[in-house]
Amino acid sequence: MALFAIFQTTFFLTLLSLRTYQSEVLAERLPLTPVSLKVSTNSTRQSLHLQWTVHNLPYHQELKMVFQIQISRIETSNVIWVGNYSTTVKWNQVLHWSWESELPLECATHFVRIKSVVDDAKFPEPNFWSNWSSWEEVSVQDSTGQDILFVFPKDKLVEEGTNVTICYVSRNIQNNVSCYLEGKQIHGEQLDPHVTAFNLNSVPFIRNKGTNIYCEASQGNVSEGMKGIVLFVSKVLEEPKDFSCETEDFKTLHCTWDPGTDTALGWSKQPSQSYTLFESFSGEKKLCTHKNWCNWQITQDSQETYNFTLTAENYLRKRSVNILFNLTHRVYLMNPFSVNFENVNATNAIMTWKVHSMRNNFTYLCQIELHGEGKMMQYNVSIKVNGEYFLSELEPATEYMARVRCADASHFWKWSEWSGQNFTTLEAAPSEAPDVWRIVNLEPGNHTVTLFWKPLSKLHANGKILFYNVVVENLDKPSRSELHSIPAPANSTKLILDRCSYQICVTANNSVGASPASVIVISADPENKEVEEERIAGTEGGFSLSWKPQPGDVIGYVVDWCDHTQDVLGDFQWKNVGPNTTSTVISTDAFRPGVRYDFRIYGLSTKRIACLLEKKTGYSQELAPSDNPHVLVDTLTSHSFTLSWKDYSTESQPGFIQGYHVYLKSKARQCHPRFEKAVLSDGSECCKYKIDNPEEKALIVDNLKPESFYEFFITPFTSAGEGPSATFTKVTTPDEHSSMLIHILLPMVFCVLLIMVMCYLKSQWIKETCYPDIPDPYKSSILSLIKFKENPHLIIMNVSDCIPDAIEVVSKPEGTKIQFLGTRKSLTETELTKPNYLYLLPTEKNHSGPGPCICFENLTYNQAASDSGSCGHVPVSPKAPSMLGLMTSPENVLKALKNYINSLGEIPAGETSLNYVSQLASPMFGDKDSLPTNPVEPPHCSEYKMQMAVSLRLALPPPTENSSLSSITLLDPGEHYC
Amino acid sequence: MMLLTHHPSSGLCLLTLLSPPLSSAASISPAEPISQAYSLALYMQKNTSALLRTYLQYQGSPFSDPGFSAPELQLSSLPPATAFFKTWHALDDGEWLSLAQRAFLALTQHLQLVEDDQSDLNPGSPILLAQLRAARLRAQGLLGNMAAIMTALGLPIPPEEDTLGLAAFGASAFERKCRGYVVTREYGHWTDRAVRDLALLKAKYSA
Repeated sequence: MALFAIFQTTFFLTLLSLRTYQSEVLAERLPLTPVSLKVSTNSTRQSLHLQWTVHNLPYHQELKMVFQIQISRIETSNVIWVGNYSTTVKWNQVLHWSWESELPLECATHFVRIKSVVDDAKFPEPNFWSNWSSWEEVSVQDSTGQDILFVFPKDKLVEEGTNVTICYVSRNIQNNVSCYLEGKQIHGEQLDPHVTAFNLNSVPFIRNKGTNIYCEASQGNVSEGMKGIVLFVSKVLEEPKDFSCETEDFKTLHCTWDPGTDTALGWSKQPSQSYTLFESFSGEKKLCTHKNWCNWQITQDSQETYNFTLTAENYLRKRSVNILFNLTHRVYLMNPFSVNFENVNATNAIMTWKVHSMRNNFTYLCQIELHGEGKMMQYNVSIKVNGEYFLSELEPATEYMARVRCADASHFWKWSEWSGQNFTTLEAAPSEAPDVWRIVNLEPGNHTVTLFWKPLSKLHANGKILFYNVVVENLDKPSRSELHSIPAPANSTKLILDRCSYQICVTANNSVGASPASVIVISADPENKEVEEERIAGTEGGFSLSWKPQPGDVIGYVVDWCDHTQDVLGDFQWKNVGPNTTSTVISTDAFRPGVRYDFRIYGLSTKRIACLLEKKTGYSQELAPSDNPHVLVDTLTSHSFTLSWKDYSTESQPGFIQGYHVYLKSKARQCHPRFEKAVLSDGSECCKYKIDNPEEKALIVDNLKPESFYEFFITPFTSAGEGPSATFTKVTTPDEHSSMLIHILLPMVFCVLLIMVMCYLKSQWIKETCYPDIPDPYKSSILSLIKFKENPHLIIMNVSDCIPDAIEVVSKPEGTKIQFLGTRKSLTETELTKPNYLYLLPTEKNHSGPGPCICFENLTYNQAASDSGSCGHVPVSPKAPSMLGLMTSPENVLKALKNYINSLGEIPAGETSLNYVSQLASPMFGDKDSLPTNPVEPPHCSEYKMQMAVSLRLALPPPTENSSLSSITLLDPGEHYC
Repeated sequence: MMLLTHHPSSGLCLLTLLSPPLSSAASISPAEPISQAYSLALYMQKNTSALLRTYLQYQGSPFSDPGFSAPELQLSSLPPATAFFKTWHALDDGEWLSLAQRAFLALTQHLQLVEDDQSDLNPGSPILLAQLRAARLRAQGLLGNMAAIMTALGLPIPPEEDTLGLAAFGASAFERKCRGYVVTREYGHWTDRAVRDLALLKAKYSA
């Protein structure tokens, strides 16, 4: 073989040498095959590095050749890449070529082969490809050890937005492997049973600590292991922005830029990008230590022009920016110093400053800013080293702030920083007379003039006002002027002047001098003539006033106003109006809604005497009344009542009171005449009556029903509405008759009382007339007579001496019962009884017995009743009718009784009673002399019946049908008396 | 050894402070060093879960996912604490003390490694770094205490050796995260075991 090779080489060399001279045909057949192909790998870069040589090259010859390279993955037949590489090949040269794999090399075995062809003009076509070299197998053996799962590439650094391929290698194909990117599962493409690749397109930057990608191998539900990688995604390096350089002393150039995003990554995978400054004219380079600025030392005075390149660099890329400039065009001056003010007076000052010297004959442009009184003035001035500027037209007594900055006048690059100072101008005399107005009150014998003035504006005061001088001069009588000096900040004073004309001059004074005088004249004539007050309507913006012009010459008008309710001095204001104006708008923020303001318009004559022209009053905004009147109910009758609210003031309200609304509620559905139906805010219905006159503060509500319940509510109203809603007051109309009764009863009671008083006063007379004293027999004069006869047995009258006129014995038949005790029996019942009467007729016909008699009922014979003993008299059952009769003597009576009782036979004693009627009882009324007038038939008888009700203990047999009641009167037990 | 040279002062200081003088060791009662070791182990036990939680929180998914656990992850350089109870029970005091001594020696070296890794990856997380440092110093303290016990019991102290090897420095970022997880986890396991065994030893020698 070797022999053959030597022979072949010799043959080709011979041919080549021949070609030089004559034959090119032979050279076309030269098979310059690549040999000694070696493939190495760079796992981090995922690249294959090929190196080979070409045999059979002529000595010291150069040939242009094309190499075709084939790369297969996993197996040789799976060609994944074919490409040509053209280069000039020298004799004995080792050729190098690299290829970067998108798939980590650890994931799969790669195979590489190469062939070549001569592509040189020296060898005209046709050329032939050499044979392929043999396949070179490349595998990165990192998947060693006991592990069952591997994930690649490890710790790869990529730029945001690039595409990355990762893979896992699983030892056990039985395992189920799932892969996750930051917790989200990713899906890949299986390259072979052990290897699966995942293409991650445009990977995002998540954090500078890297992105975790991990795979889990499991069999069933059992985890077999977990492996992962950290993918370090860097942000894209940005180009530095706003790169510029400048000098403030021609010694150092200060370059600045905006670095943009920091691309540093954790785990030292990538540090922050570095910045390098390169100057092309000098060829110097400087690595900047700060990320956004760098100082460059100017070493050569002669170098005027600079060309800087700023390069930002990280592991993945470089970005550069370039600037070219003349040094004198990049001068940034230091701020001026020694700023001072000289010759400061009331209206002007001189400002001086200095600038840091740069080079000789340097001209500076300086800018001055003057701030004061809320205004700003700007001036530009060109200077050499020392700056000076005359500040004029300044305001007196004002603090100003002046500042200055400078720049290179010949090549403006940038203003320096400001340098500033404050100064204050001196005071000047006030430039304007104070605005003065007055209130004149006429009092007996004099005027009280209250002067008001407005403080001068800062513009006119020209300093601090210290006092006001008020000079009062009598115009009618020559006299000395009076000077009143009132210290500031007073704004009013009171003068009491007699009834003369006075001229008053007011000046404001500061430390420098007095202002022009403000003059007003107080006329001797009373000025407060009667002027009708007119109501006006204001708006939220103010009041629009107009007036009739004053006849004659006027130098102007004054409108003054104050709060209607408040003290005049507290809120007094005025406004001056020109002589040709007869209307104005008073607008101020001080106007409050619901407050009434009084306006007075004066005309000022040429003599400066004020004349009141018009009065107006109004609200800037009327409000609804804030409170309701306190209403009294008067003259309440059964058909009407009167409501009155006299105390309600219509003046001090937040609007002009236009009237009142009276709301009335009643049970009746119909409203009374004059009332109309209305619906309240709570939805209830009521009747409403409108009073249009604000001064009408009473209302008679009539046509009401007696004994009815009414509710009323009264509220005032303005143009803005009515007052607050409040509770209704309740009224109940009285009964119609009760009033009548009162009308009748009262006189009656009065009359009775009168009679009683009269009776009391005339009691003696009445007593003597109506019931004279009954003479006491013991005190009778007859007694004295008897006594005189010395009769020791003086008995006026004994009962036994009575001669009865008749005796009545009532005998009840057997079995007669009383039905009931204690109930009144009707006469019909009593008629059923058939008493047996025994009349004992008087024996002496001419007996002069008393006409009116007392029936003395002796019930002693009732044995049962005697037990009760509740009374002095022995009670006898009243059911047993007494026999009433007249007997001549008690003995006769007793005899007759006995006979009668015997005749009755078996009638028990208890059922027989005896009525013993005595004639001895004296009559109750009447003259004792008339007693015996008609003894036989007494026309009327005042019965003195000691009737004793029988207690229930008296066991009486119940009445039967045949029973006869002999009682005349039956009494209730409660009605008995002793 | 290489790791210890990184922070020689702190570790050695503690060791010398906590180790009783070897010469007079044999005569000292073991009750006191056992009690000291037990107290320290108890204190360590209170912080182990917090350390693991903090560590995982800084590593990103899947470590920071709730309920993360990968018991299959182990380190060949770190003896696992999950020995069979029976096997463990059969060991005498000297044997388990020797095993524990070796484990905590490995743990101190690994904790140092994790601390270095994390100061590189998470420089802006002082809480994690402080917890890792505290755990390492306590493990070193426990080592000293156990050495004192062994001295008191007259047992030979195993020599200090490098457990990491060179392989530890070629790990990828993800492997380092996993390694830190295993170390902080095993630190907790070994601490639990130390508490249990020291309690037994304390009961045995306090009588």
